[in-house]
Parts: sequence; C-alpha cells; structure tokens
Amino acid sequence: MRAKLFTSLAIGALGLLVGLWLICPPATRANGDKHEEKGGHAHVPAPLEYADAHVPLAVWTDPAMIARGKEIYTVKCAVCHGDTGDGKGPAGVVLPLKPSDFRDKAGVAEMRDNYWFWRVSDGGQVEPFKGKGSAMPSWKSELSVEDRWAVMAYQHTYSGHDGPHVPWEHPESVAMGRDIFVMACVPCHGVVGKGDGSVGPMLAPRRAPQPRDFTSAEFKFRSTPSGQLPMTADLFRTMTEGVRSGGGPMTIGLRGHRIMPSFQHMPVEQRLEVLEYVKSLNRGFWERGAVKTVTVPAPPTLTPERLTRGKQLYTDAECLACHGERGRGDGLSAPTLKDNRDLPIAATDLTRPERFKTGSRPEDVYRTLMTGLAGTPMPSYGDALEPDQAWDLVYYVLSLSNNRRRTSEAVR
Amino acid sequence: MLKRLGVVVFIAAGLSALVAGLVAFASAGRVEAVPAFARQYDLQCNACHTRPPRLNRFGEQFHMMGFQIPSAAQPGGIVTSVREDGVVKTLIDSVALRVEGGLFEYTASPQETEAKFVPPDEITLFVARPLLPELSIFVEIEGEPNAVAFENGRYFNKGEFGLGKEAFFMLNLGRLLGLLGAPTMEMGGQTMVGKHGGFSMHGPMLMAGKVDPSTNFSYATNRQLIAPTELEVAQGEVERLPVVPYAFASKFFGLFKNSDEGEPQLVTDQVMYNTAGAPGADFHAMFNDVVLGQIGFLRENEGFNTYAAARFDLLDRSELTFNVSVLVNWGFGVVRAPNPEDPNQPGNRLDRLRYGIAANVRWKQLDVYGAVIWDRLYGVPGALRGTFDGTATGLTMQADYLVHEKLMLSSRFDQLWAGGLKDEKRDGSVLSVQAKFYPWQNIAFFVRDSVNLRSVVEDSPLRNWRNQLFVGIDWDF
Repeated sequence: MRAKLFTSLAIGALGLLVGLWLICPPATRANGDKHEEKGGHAHVPAPLEYADAHVPLAVWTDPAMIARGKEIYTVKCAVCHGDTGDGKGPAGVVLPLKPSDFRDKAGVAEMRDNYWFWRVSDGGQVEPFKGKGSAMPSWKSELSVEDRWAVMAYQHTYSGHDGPHVPWEHPESVAMGRDIFVMACVPCHGVVGKGDGSVGPMLAPRRAPQPRDFTSAEFKFRSTPSGQLPMTADLFRTMTEGVRSGGGPMTIGLRGHRIMPSFQHMPVEQRLEVLEYVKSLNRGFWERGAVKTVTVPAPPTLTPERLTRGKQLYTDAECLACHGERGRGDGLSAPTLKDNRDLPIAATDLTRPERFKTGSRPEDVYRTLMTGLAGTPMPSYGDALEPDQAWDLVYYVLSLSNNRRRTSEAVR
Repeated sequence: MLKRLGVVVFIAAGLSALVAGLVAFASAGRVEAVPAFARQYDLQCNACHTRPPRLNRFGEQFHMMGFQIPSAAQPGGIVTSVREDGVVKTLIDSVALRVEGGLFEYTASPQETEAKFVPPDEITLFVARPLLPELSIFVEIEGEPNAVAFENGRYFNKGEFGLGKEAFFMLNLGRLLGLLGAPTMEMGGQTMVGKHGGFSMHGPMLMAGKVDPSTNFSYATNRQLIAPTELEVAQGEVERLPVVPYAFASKFFGLFKNSDEGEPQLVTDQVMYNTAGAPGADFHAMFNDVVLGQIGFLRENEGFNTYAAARFDLLDRSELTFNVSVLVNWGFGVVRAPNPEDPNQPGNRLDRLRYGIAANVRWKQLDVYGAVIWDRLYGVPGALRGTFDGTATGLTMQADYLVHEKLMLSSRFDQLWAGGLKDEKRDGSVLSVQAKFYPWQNIAFFVRDSVNLRSVVEDSPLRNWRNQLFVGIDWDF
C-alpha cells in the first residue's frame, strides 16, 4: 500500500514538473542580467570573425590615439552619442534604441574589446542589434582599423577607467564564461586554467596527453604557425568537437572515444563566452600582432599518382621514424618520444583515423601537417611542403587506415 | 597451508588470464563495448571515473547535473537522439551491463579453511539516459545469483532478480524556481539559479524513486573500488558477515528489521547509504561551486529516514583537491529493538540518529577518503538498560593509488565499535588490500585480501575468520 502511494506520488510529481518544463520555455540569454531592459544593449559575444580583433594594450592609454579618436568621434559619433558620451546626442534622443552611454562604468566594463570593435565595425546592421531597431551605421568601410581603435580609446575615456580595457581589468566582462568554465572545465584544466585539475593525472598517469595549460604559449590544435597562439576559431573547433583519444593501451576496443568531451550541444554564444574567459587567462592573445593563419585549400582529386608521391614524401619527411612503415605508430623512435613536459607520448596510429585528436577529415590532417602539434614531437611541415605536396601526404596518411571505406568517404 | 594457498593463487591467476584472453578476443574492435553514458557522449570511461566505478571530479559534476555533460545538455533530449541516431542506436546507447564479483574465494580461519569457485555476485542491467535537458532516468535491473533471503526465520541462498539499488529519475528544478521569481541563468540547456559573477546555484536537482544519496558525499560508498563481500549462510544461520565499509553499516547487534518476519538487522547491513534500495526523494544543489547541499528522505524497513548533508569543496589547486562532508540523519522507527522478554524476537521500534564527517583528498594519482559515522538509538526499552549499548561508531578509511594506467592499488581500513546487545556485540577491525588490473577501461580483474586484525572469535560471524582472499571480475559493457 505504501509502495503504491510512493509510486503514485512520484509519477504525479514527475508529470507536474515535466508539464511545467514544457510550458515554460528556457531563458534565451545566459547571463541573467537585465540589459534587455536597459536599451537592448545585450553584450553578446563577438562572432568568430571578430573574436580575435583584440585591441593592442597601448592603444587605450595612448594620448595620440585618444586625440585622434576624439576628432573622429566629434564628427561621426557625437550626433547620436552626445558630446559628453551620455548617449543623448541630438539625433540619438529620437532613436527607438537609445545609443550607448559611455559614462555607464558598469555597462562599459562588461563590453569586451572585440565586441566593441565589432559594434563599431558593423554597427546595427547585424543581429541581434538589427532586430532591435539599432540605427548604428557600419563604419568599417569608412574608418581604418586604427581609426576604429582610436574612437574606442576615446569613448573609453568617458567611463573614467584609466587602464587598458581588458578582461583582467574588468573580470565582469568574462563572468559568464567563467561560470561555465568552473562547471565544465575546471576538473581537468584547473581553477586558473593551468591544466592542473585533479582529473588529468588519473586520466593518463605520467604520460601525455594531459589537459592543456591555457596560460602557456603551447597549444596543439591551431591554424596558426608553429609557436603561436591559436585563433579563437581553433579553440572553438576543439571545444565543439572534443579531443579524441590517441590510443594507448587502455583504449583497445573503444574506437574513437574522446578523452575530452564534445561541447557541441552548448549554444554557440556560450561556447564563445567560455573561450573569451579562456583567452583572458593568457595575455598573449592581446599582445600578439597580426597573425597569418594556415588556410586549407580546396582538396584536389585523389589519384594513384598522388598516393605514390605521398608514400615517397612519407619516407622523405621521416614520418616513418615515429609512425612506422605501416603507420601503426611503431616507428623506431616511437618508444622514446616525449613531449615538452618530459612525459612519454605515443606516436599516433595512422591506421586508426577515428583516433586522430583533431579529426580525420582531410582538412584536419592537412592542418595538422602544416602547423604541427606544439609541445609534442610532431613538427610543422608548413615550411617544408608546398600545399600540393601536403595533399599528397594527407591522402597517403588516410590511405593507411584500416577502414578504407570510411577513409575514401572522407576523401570524397 | 602456504603451499595450498600458492596452488589456489596459481589456479586463480590462470583462470583470470583465460577470461582476459576470451574477453580480449570478444572485445577487439567493438565500439559498443562500453557502458551507456560513455556511448552516449562518445567518451572514454576514464573521463568520468578515476577507474570505474569511482568517480573523478568531472564524473561527480556529471552525476550532480543529472547525467548531462555540464553546461552541454542535448537540447532536444531523447527525441533528437532518436531522430539523429535512430531507435536502435539510441536504445543500445541507453543500456549497459555490469558483471561484478568473485571468480574465486579463499577463506582461512583456525577452524576451517575453504577455497571455492563462485559465480559473479551481481549482474546488473542499467537503463540510463537524459530524456530532456533537465530530466534523466537511471534504472538498475539486478540479478544476484548468490543473494541471501530470509524466510520463516531462516537464511538461505536464493538467486534474486529485480530492481537494484537505484531506479530513479532526476529533474533539474532550476526552471521551477525561475517560475517562482528566482533569477535564472541558461547554461548549455540547463537552467541554473543565480546571476553570473554573483550567487549561483546548480540545481536544485530532484532525485526520486529508489535513490542512493551516497554519490555526493566525500565518501561515496556506492562507488567503492573495494566492493562489499557476500553474506555467507549455512544451515539457516549466518555463517560469516560481509566485509563492508563499517562506517556506513548498521553497527548494532541484536536489532530487527521488522516485526512480521522478525528478520534481523545485521550489524554489517548498509543503512541510509548504499542500501539494498530505498524509495525516497533527494534534493541536492551546488552553491557557488563550493558547497553542495543535500536533503531528502528514504524508507528503511518499517520507518523512514530524513537526512541532510553538505559537502564543502575547500581546495582545488595544482592537481590537489580537498573536500569535507558532514551528514545528519534521523531515522524514524527504522529498526526494532530486541524484545526484553525474548531477545530473539523483535520488540518496539527505535529511532536512530546518525551523524558523521567524511573527507576526500586527491593529489596526482592518489585518492584518499575516509569517514567517521556515529549512530545513536532512541527508544530502547528500559528493561534493556544495562544489557544494550545504544551507541556505536564506525570508521572507514581508504586510499587508492593508480600505479600505472592499468593497475590500481587500493587499501581500506574498517573499524567498528559496535553497539547493541552487550553479550553479543563484537568490535571489528579489518584491513583490505586490493590490486585491480584493467586490461581495458571497462574490464577489471582484481585480487583482494581482507585480514581480520582482531582475535578470531569462533561464534561470531563478524570475526570467525582470519583471512579472505578473492579473485574477481568487474566488467562493464
């Protein structure tokens, strides 16, 4: 009798709660703040094409840049944002979406520099601002990058903040990313992102791979040249796809299972928020200059000749020293390989593309060849191979797969 | 005797090698040879487990959030899974099988030495899956070939099949609190209460059904790398009590579970945590990623428990984590005292106060955890005063060290300062050491030895042995 009562109560409670869940849609924004009510200035993350548009630190306090910005602001911005930056310029007061008030310290502090740059560049011509009726024009065709930086530096003076406008001066700008990071990333990457969470040593004791140290300059999965920090898009790809297991004795029978989970179901803007927090742990993202990324050209048609050339390149480039003649990761050097932390590291078994850490699509393999994997013995062949040669090698590497059908599908 | 032990170990090792070979042959190349959650999320077992079944920090977050990757729940739940993966794969990914227990046992005591092959203790089918971003189910269907039943005043071995220790749904109530006016945050499909940069609360999660609140405690008894041994009976009587984490055992001699059948509450029965399956409801929530609070109620025998627990995650730095948990549990009429007229018959119902503290330190490959739990009974008849001790304490400390990615060494010390009928009660001290070998992430073979550190007492099923050696398997697929 009592069991029935329990069961009935449980089913009733479950039904009620699921009903509530269904009739009440989730909040659309993740930050729980009320910006929507303060003029629609939602500080959403900058899209990937602007995510690396960080302003050089010196710009914010450079008197020359501030003066240059003032000239531009007076001509182009003051009419809406006002002479005092209060958002109450003569044209601004009649707009349906009020221009930003740069004197609002808290509001400005929450704006990241790449968001700010995106707003100045694209104005209100993009979502979500377009849908809110923003009249902000796009300035990217009229103002150079330096001009836009200068305007931002001048606008920044209204907030009363003296230093550079960066996350370590304004932690509130990455608060959302930090909260998600604490929940999802700290167990492996540690509280301050040094890769020293408690999970790593148990995951692969005393051997590579270990969780990434976000504060260091070494990132494996990049589209940037060897020795440089990755682009936000690279981090985004890793976060979205996770990291597959590179093999090792524990994974027999568990093909392709990830060592780092895929966060593909996390909404894009929240993934970007996490990445903004991750970048804030490493000032190098603000201190680097323009970065030339490795572009992946369109794959050429696979031909037998390409495979023949690829096989020769495999020998000439000494791939077999680590990966072995048949690509099984059993080359002569394989047992002695170590990473930069002096941890033993396995040469990837090329016959198991489902275990390739960054993916087994031809473009993934191409990128790995041309950039290398920083901190590991895998070098960059960006200077040694022409793109066409790289494709030959990519096709040969993929041809070593035990699962030829899968490989040929990937190549197609 | 040593020679005999050597032969036994040799046979056991040979048997293990044979089974390992068969398993290797059977598993090579099978993607499916991992449990449900690993398949659903395409993750290695070790992403969540230090080594199965013990959870690491990420696994604890995963469990706390209702078996969802933290902040990355599938927005469409099972509907999207079915649409994208098909019914068959979704079904396969939702189930897992676990075979656990002995292959071989050797028990030594001054009176008798016994060696025998035994079937696995438990075969469990798991059905586990998030149905919605904020609703998950977890069901264990368990077969126990060696189960012990109590009927008509006698114990006997009787295979059992049915719902296991846990069969529940878990629901994130964050959205419900949002409806009631609390500020909420949407994090990867999961609604949290609070505001970024300020107060935050993950959950509260409601877990209802047959629940085990143990997982959130610093000492998770249901995630033991050193599994409880089996109760052994002969001629209707208890021959030997199992070796379990004594801190969480019932700790009293002479009690009864109920009046109808008069079934004894054995001193080593796990109560509140890691029980044989108790219907109830549990609420837990994580505050500011530092304090995990938990309250709930569970049925136990003829009464029910209410409990409150909190875990404080105090340190997380440079591969070092440290947390402390406290627990208070009040059981309303959960056991029966012995009848003062006839101690072999159940008397009136008793309340039980349980409180305790546990801690867990993880540093590199070392995982150390322990708990001290005090129990006190209320309502003991006046006629039993002087013959019945209403207080008892248990201490359990364990250390696991991952020597190599294939080898986990564990050691546990269990100390019982028992209560109950004074002429029956015996304290116990047991040291267990275990080597668990993982040829693959989801398969382990173990050799384990438990040593009774106290003098052997022939008529005490708690202490009528000197040494117990086990060779067993733990296989999830």
